[in-house]
Amino acid sequence: MIRKSLAVMAATAALLSASPALADGDVQCNSGPQAKWQKIDKLKKKAWLEGWKVQKLQVEGDCYEVYAQTESGMAIEAFFHPVTLEKLVVFRRGSEIYRKQGFTG
Amino acid sequence: MRPRKALFWLALAVPAALMIADLARGALAMDLLHPTGELSLRLMVVALLPGPLIEVFGPNRFLRGWVAIRRNLGVAAFGYGALHLVFYAIDMGALAPIIAEFALPAIWTGWLGFAFMLAAAAISTNRAMAALGRRRWKRIQQGVYAAFILALLHWALLDRAWGPSLIHLAPVALAWALRFAVQFRRRLNRRKVA
Repeated sequence: MIRKSLAVMAATAALLSASPALADGDVQCNSGPQAKWQKIDKLKKKAWLEGWKVQKLQVEGDCYEVYAQTESGMAIEAFFHPVTLEKLVVFRRGSEIYRKQGFTG
Repeated sequence: MRPRKALFWLALAVPAALMIADLARGALAMDLLHPTGELSLRLMVVALLPGPLIEVFGPNRFLRGWVAIRRNLGVAAFGYGALHLVFYAIDMGALAPIIAEFALPAIWTGWLGFAFMLAAAAISTNRAMAALGRRRWKRIQQGVYAAFILALLHWALLDRAWGPSLIHLAPVALAWALRFAVQFRRRLNRRKVA
């Protein structure tokens, strides 16, 4: 019994220590100094063009982040590059649903 | 005991009141999801700790008092879980998108965890305990462990980060490790005596 529980604990520890490589919350945009960033409000138009209803715009690390609902009501979190305002990656409740080709941050 | 219990519940209700006031003043429901979820999870941790600890350190006055309010802490955890759901519903604004995202791993873990909490909270009265019998009652209450693990997964999947979940898991895991260690030593001692 005790050996079994130790084994379970060891397995759990191993699993959990292996996962940071798998998932890390921080998206990195490598966007350089903030002085060169475009205004975050410009994302409102971008979101409008996508057909999204914006709930919140914010700076997240070195990225711009948009919380929005799509036309079909999907709740999404989209990350944009603060200099190019390119859409880099989009998550739906933690699941990735879009990633710009070649973007690895 | 009565006024003390009332005071205890009043204290537990303060964060909820502040959050609802925030919402009334125009805060986004989305921004209240994190505080309600985290508070619910923390109350769960506090409710899960005294059980193993009393086995490790023996029934002293402090731990006995803690065990005595454990059920209240659990019901409060459920309350904040329910508030979390209300804010989620307000944020989503309609039933269709809620159903549409139900199957996502970060979402169904939350719902299932809430279901386990609901079952435990629904039988939290003395009358339910008597009606079910100690054993069956306890079995359903142990579902809170499932709720706890599911809530940790729900959080880690949503935020794509394991750190916060692991920090909340740590005290419970430590208490259980101590409990196992104590049980193991007791068994060894018994064997030596025999």
